[in-house]
Amino acid sequence: MNESVSLLAAILFPVLSGAVLLLLKKLNDRRKVLIYAGIAMGIAGVLILNALLGKEKEILLFFLTEDIPIVLKLDNMGKWFLAIMSLIWILAGIFSFPYMKHEGKERRYFGFYLITLGAMAGLGCAGNLVTMYAFFEFLTLASFPLVIHNQSREAVMAGLKYLFYSLFGAYMALFGLFFLCRYTDTISFIPGGTLNMELAKGNESVLLLAACLMIVGFSVKAGMFPLHAWLPTAHPVAPAPASALLSGVIVKAGVLAVIRVIFYEFGADFIRGTWVQYVFMTLSLITVFMGSMLAFRENGLKKRLAYSTVSQLSYILFGIALLNPVALTGSLLHVAGHAVIKCALFLCAGAVIFQTGITTVDGLKGIGKKMPVTIWCFTIVSLGLIGIPPTGGFISKWYLAVGALESGIKGFQYAGPIVLLVSALLTAGYLLPVTIKGFFPGTDFDYGETKKCEAGAAMTIPIVILAALSVLIGMFPNTFIEFISAFTAGLM
Amino acid sequence: MEFLRNFPCFSLILTMCASIVSSGMNGKWARRLNIVVIVAVGLLSSAALYLTVTTNQCYVYKMGRFPAPWGNEIRFGVLETLMALFFSIIMLLSVLGGRKHLFEELDPFKENLYYVLVNLLMSSLLALIYTNDLFTAYVFVEINTISACGLIMIRESGHTLEAATRYMIMSLIGSGLLLFGLCILYGITGHLLMSNIKEQVALLVATDQYHIPLVVAIVFIVVGLAVKSALFPFHSWLPDSYGYSTASSAAILSSLVSKGYIFLLIKVFYRVIGFEIITESKILNVLFVFGLCGMIFGSLSAIKENDIRRMIAFSSVAQIGYIYMGFGLRTEAGIIASVFHIFSHAASKSMLFISAVGLTDVSGKSKKFLDLTGAGYRNVIAGITFTVGALSMVGVPLFPGFISKILFARAGVSVPLNRMLPTLICLAVSTILNTVYFMKTVLRIYTPVKTDYINIKWKENLCCGIVCIFFIILNIALGMYSEPIVELISRGIAMFA
Repeated sequence: MNESVSLLAAILFPVLSGAVLLLLKKLNDRRKVLIYAGIAMGIAGVLILNALLGKEKEILLFFLTEDIPIVLKLDNMGKWFLAIMSLIWILAGIFSFPYMKHEGKERRYFGFYLITLGAMAGLGCAGNLVTMYAFFEFLTLASFPLVIHNQSREAVMAGLKYLFYSLFGAYMALFGLFFLCRYTDTISFIPGGTLNMELAKGNESVLLLAACLMIVGFSVKAGMFPLHAWLPTAHPVAPAPASALLSGVIVKAGVLAVIRVIFYEFGADFIRGTWVQYVFMTLSLITVFMGSMLAFRENGLKKRLAYSTVSQLSYILFGIALLNPVALTGSLLHVAGHAVIKCALFLCAGAVIFQTGITTVDGLKGIGKKMPVTIWCFTIVSLGLIGIPPTGGFISKWYLAVGALESGIKGFQYAGPIVLLVSALLTAGYLLPVTIKGFFPGTDFDYGETKKCEAGAAMTIPIVILAALSVLIGMFPNTFIEFISAFTAGLM
Repeated sequence: MEFLRNFPCFSLILTMCASIVSSGMNGKWARRLNIVVIVAVGLLSSAALYLTVTTNQCYVYKMGRFPAPWGNEIRFGVLETLMALFFSIIMLLSVLGGRKHLFEELDPFKENLYYVLVNLLMSSLLALIYTNDLFTAYVFVEINTISACGLIMIRESGHTLEAATRYMIMSLIGSGLLLFGLCILYGITGHLLMSNIKEQVALLVATDQYHIPLVVAIVFIVVGLAVKSALFPFHSWLPDSYGYSTASSAAILSSLVSKGYIFLLIKVFYRVIGFEIITESKILNVLFVFGLCGMIFGSLSAIKENDIRRMIAFSSVAQIGYIYMGFGLRTEAGIIASVFHIFSHAASKSMLFISAVGLTDVSGKSKKFLDLTGAGYRNVIAGITFTVGALSMVGVPLFPGFISKILFARAGVSVPLNRMLPTLICLAVSTILNTVYFMKTVLRIYTPVKTDYINIKWKENLCCGIVCIFFIILNIALGMYSEPIVELISRGIAMFA
C-alpha cells in the first residue's frame, strides 16, 4: 500500500466503520452487531499494524488557515503510543464481546468504540500542534458516549464532568498555543523544539506562562492535581472494558500531548530550571501521593483502581518533568507498563462484576475460590504495579528513580524517589487486600457454598495475555529500552 | 468581461422588481419567483466576484452616469461581492429550510406577502452592501427594518406582534441615531457620497476643525448601528423576535439582517471616516467593552434559558459580541477576524435555527428542553445538523467557529497587554459557557426516552433534509477550507481603504 495512504486509512477506517455501525438501524440484532464489530476491529488492527511497520512518513492534508496546515506524521514517539493504544484497544474490545451482554446497547457502544480508535490513531499520527489539538478534542467527544453508556443520572453527571474538565483543559492549552504561535517558526513537531530564540528573547515570561498553561491544560486528561477530580468519577461509571480503555490508554493522550509540547515545541532547554519545571514537578508529586492515599481509603473496586490511575499517571508526568533522558525512558516504559496493568485490573474487576455482581473490595471475600484464574492474574499485575521484580513496573520505576537522582535538582532529587517509594508502599496497601481477601477469607468463611464460576474464554484470555505481557515487559525490557532510548536521546 | 460590472446593479433591480411583481401573484408563484431571484442574485454575485478577483480592483458604477452630487453610486470590490454571494446562499437555504412551516403558520392568502418581504429584505441587504452613498444606505436601512418587522409578525400570534413592536421601537431608535449622525456629517462636510466625505473628514482632521461635531457624528452612527445589530445592552428585543417568529424568519434575521448593519459599520469605518481616525477616537474602546460584556452575558442568559429557540437567540447576542470585540482590537487582523466571524456565525446560526425547528416538530411543537428529550433519534437529520452547529459554536476544530476563534485569538495576542488579556480571558470564559449550554442541549436531544411522538421519515420532509445536508457541507467547507476565504477577506479589506 502507498506509504502515505496507510496513515490516512488507519485513522479513517475506524471512524467510518464506527459511523456506519451507528447509522445502520438494520444492525439491531446483537449477533450481527458483534460480527460486524469483530470484522471491523480486525481490519482496523491490520491497518494500524501496517502503518506502524512502515517507515516514518508525512502527509500534508490541507491548510486550515494560511499558516496552519493539518499534517499527519508518524514518528517513533507516535509509534510507541499508537502501538500501546491499539494493543490495549483490541484486547479490551475482545473482552467487550461477552461483557456487553450485561450492559446492552451494543450497537452504540461498538460504534463509538471504533471511532475512539480512529481518534487515538489520529493523535498518534498528528504532525503538528493544531492537528493534535483537533484529535485531542475529537477523542474527548468520541469517548464521552462510552462514559455515559448506562445513562443513569450518575453516569450522565460523571460524563458531563469528564467533558467539561477535558474541554476546559484543552482550551487552556489552546490559549497557550496562541501565544506560542507568535514566537515559533513552525508549529510542526521537531525534536528539540521549534522556538525561535530571537523572537523569544525578552518575552520569556509570557512564553513560560504559555508553557505552563499548555502543560497543565493537557495534563487534565492525565488527571494531574488540581484538575484530577473528573477521573475517579468518570472512569468507574463506564462499562468495565470502556473503563479499561479510558484508564489504560485514553489518559495517555494527555501524556503524549505534554511530551509533544515540552520536547517538540518549547524544547527541554527552555523549560529546564524555570518555575514551570518546578510547578510541574511539584504538582505531579502531590498527585502521586494524593492519588495513592485516596485509593487506599476507597472501598469501591473500580473507583479504587481509578484513583490508582491518578497516582500512576503522575509517575509518568514526574518523569517527564525531570527533563532528562533516563527519567523520560522510565516514563515511556511506564506508559506501556501502566497501560497493560491498568487494563488488566479493570478487566478483572469487570469479570468479577459480570459473574458475581460484586463491586466493593469488602465483598470480595473468598472470590479466589470462585474465580481463581482472574484473581491470580489480578495478583500478578498488582505486583507489577507495586514494582516488584521481575514485572514491568519495577524497570520503569527504577529508571524514574535513577533519573530523579541523576537530575541533581535540589530537593526533588531526593524528594522524588522518596515519594515514589512511599506511594509504592501505598499501592501494595490498596491492591493486595483484594488478593488477600480473595484467597484467605478467614477462618469463619464457609467454603461449602462457593462454586467455581470462572468467566468465559473471551473474557479470561485477554486478562491472561495482559498479565503475561506485564511480566514479559519486566523480564525482557531491553528491546523496548533500546527502541525508546534511540529516540529520547535526540530530544534533549 | 466589461459587461460583468453591471451585475451588482442588476441584482439590486432584480430583487426590487421581484418584490413588486410578487405582490400581485399567488403564494405558489411568488415562492417560485423568489427562489429564482435568489439563485439569480447568487449567480450574478459570483460572476461579479469572479470579475473583481481576476482583475483585482474595485469598480464604481454610476447610476444613470450622473456624476457625484446628483447621481448615486455603487461601489464593489472583492469583499462586497463575496458577502453578497454568501448572503444569497444563506437566504436560499433559510427560505427553503423553513418552507414547510410557512405553509402551516401563515394565512394562505398572505403567503405571497412573505415573499414580497423576503425580496425586499434581500434588495435592502444588497444595497447596504454595495452602495457608496450614505443617504441611500440610510434609506435601505429603513427598508430593511420594515421588512424585518414584517417577517417577524407575519405569523400573527400574540408573541410575534409584541416582539415585532419591540423590534420596531429599538430599531427606530437606532435609525434615528444613525440619521442624526448622517445629518451632522453632511453638515460639516457637505457631501453624502462616501469617498467625498472621507476626503473632507481627512481635511477637517488635518486642520483641526469641527472636532466635537465630528466625534458626535461618529458616536451617533456607531451607536445607532450597534443598537440595530443588537450589541449587548441593546439586545432585549432579540430573543423574542428570533424565538417566536417562523423558522425561516429567525434564520434570516439572525444570520443576515444584523450582519447587514455590521457590514455597513465596517464600511463607515473604512470608507467614510477612515480607519485611523476611527481608531484614534475612543469609540472603539466602548465597542470593545460592550462586545466583551455581550460575550459573557449573552452566554449566561442562554444557559438560564429553558426554550431552545430563545437559547439560540441569546447565543447570537454572544456571537455579535465577538464581532464587536474584533472591532475593538483596533487592528486590521481584528477586523478580518470579525468579518470571518460574520460568515461563520451566519452559516452556523441559520443552520441551528432550521435544525432546531426540525427537532421541535417531532416533540409536539414544544420548545421546552424537557420535551426535546430524545428528539435527535426521532428526526435523525435535524439532530445531526444541530450537533454540527453546536460543535461549530463551541469551537471544535474543523468547524468554522474554531477558525473564528483562532483568528480572534491571534489578533488578540498581537495587541498591547491591556487589550490582550481581556480578549483572551473573555474568549476562554465564553467558550466554556458556550460548551455548557450547547453540549447540554446535544446531550438532551440524544437521551433516549419513550414517548408518543412519532419519528419523522426521511421522505416526509425531503426539502428540509436536503437543506440540512447543504448546511452541513457549507459549514464543514468553511471550517476546513477557510484559507481562501480569509485571503479574499483581507484582499477585500485592502480594497476598501
